[in-house]
Amino acid sequence: MRTKKNGLSCLAAALMTVSSCSRPVSQDSARKMPAGNQFSGFLSTYANLKPNPAFENTASFVSQDPTKNLHKYVAVIVEPPVIYLATDADEKSLPDRGRIALAEYFRHSIDEAVEDAFPIVQSSGPLVLRLRSAIVGVDVGPAIPTDQKDGRSLDRPINIGKVGVEIEFVDSESGEQIAAAVDRQNLGEGAMVGSANFSREEKFRAATEAFDGWGKRLRNFLDSAHELSKDDIARAEATNFPYASETSK
Amino acid sequence: MRASFLLTIVLLLNGALSAGEVSSFRAYVDSDLCARLILGPITPSRVECSQSTIKDGSQPVLVQLRNNLVLAVNKQKMIRPFVGQLAEVTGEIKVQNGTAKLQSVNPITADSVPQGDSARKLLDVRAYRTDRSAELHEKIRHELAMMPYISEFDFISFSQMGAEVILTGWTIRSTNRSTAYNVVKDIPGVETVINNIEVLPLGSFDMQIRGAARAALQRNLSRYFWGSGSDIKIVVKNGQIILLGTVTSKADSDLAFIQCNSISGAFKVFNMLRVHSSQNKGA
Repeated sequence: MRTKKNGLSCLAAALMTVSSCSRPVSQDSARKMPAGNQFSGFLSTYANLKPNPAFENTASFVSQDPTKNLHKYVAVIVEPPVIYLATDADEKSLPDRGRIALAEYFRHSIDEAVEDAFPIVQSSGPLVLRLRSAIVGVDVGPAIPTDQKDGRSLDRPINIGKVGVEIEFVDSESGEQIAAAVDRQNLGEGAMVGSANFSREEKFRAATEAFDGWGKRLRNFLDSAHELSKDDIARAEATNFPYASETSK
Repeated sequence: MRASFLLTIVLLLNGALSAGEVSSFRAYVDSDLCARLILGPITPSRVECSQSTIKDGSQPVLVQLRNNLVLAVNKQKMIRPFVGQLAEVTGEIKVQNGTAKLQSVNPITADSVPQGDSARKLLDVRAYRTDRSAELHEKIRHELAMMPYISEFDFISFSQMGAEVILTGWTIRSTNRSTAYNVVKDIPGVETVINNIEVLPLGSFDMQIRGAARAALQRNLSRYFWGSGSDIKIVVKNGQIILLGTVTSKADSDLAFIQCNSISGAFKVFNMLRVHSSQNKGA
């Protein structure tokens, strides 16, 4: 009986492991970059953004409100990334499998970059941020010839060469913007995605490197926003004394 | 067919990863609270701390005698009767996350630990009173105080004996555990770092308590809260709140305790706040 119970719990654990490897991403179809607009319209507001001298080609915002700033949150819900096609791209030609693969890998890069600093949770709450992200400017290439395709190949390759990223952290309860960044640094020069399995194929390495690069820039942005101010340094220095040393004297 | 193949692989991998080496070691059976706050020899006051905090609901843990490593155990019932005592323990240790899978636990006396054995270290008060460089101590303190991701919900402390540093405390971010280890290990003069910082799970129940506790304390004791942190640390673990840090009066300490005690869902509040009236807390 005990063995059977153990076996069942192993089975349940294994199924949970398998299912957690493929967390759902947005099933919405891709959106399109509005013609003549500077931004995609994805962020809740662009009014707060200012050029960030620490990050090339990036405009950002970090709330300085003493009660609503990044320091006041300890965990994050990562929403599925949204894909925005370039203005002149044909919406119908973007393969669904490719869009899902892009969104999944971008989400993976974000998770990897932030989770040790902002643990990822599923429920909203007073200490929880919601991370919204969009890949903007995705283009679609000409059809891949049949003799060059395998089971995982896309009908058309996806070009991320001119892609930018828009990201914002909002309060998970009120939706208020706490930090945001529009990153136009082109990390995907020449990068194409021609397979739903692109992250495991060497020939699409430029694409995975580009996504990992945006993930790292996001983490650097968070780290820079967490640097202690002069006042905080003085306060931390003045009050942070170990218990252990005192009690072991 | 494919699913069952996948399942087999997962189970095999799971088994291979979880298998550890079984070893025997001598340990002090402590409470989680005292083990992470009182890093030092097994004195009567430490034994008293262990036994009283266990009664108040703190979880039992093992402290390996030879290196002060704190180990959370899989079967707390096996060690609970021996809190405040020494024990010979057999089990699988995972140093990286500070856990032990127990096989057997037998109480022992201090006399049974041979002279010269590394396990005597924690029994010798003198080891904790010698050879502490004030300069090195200050460097470690400074580096830990400057960590950027420390919030009101993280408490990190340390003890230093010569070139050995024991890190301790609780954090909600795994980066704090690794950053503390890395910054201290790189300080010239530090040779060994034992990392007893526990990474707390972020269950929604504890998160609600954290949010409510911070809101209550910020409302009533706002002068202890500043831009990126606070002088009062609120550690929440399995519905228990541990208040740590420094306040300027006994009245403030009592007020913090009362406020946290009234939070819905909090089972127990341990008030470990220190009172330092000479400190300038600002406006």
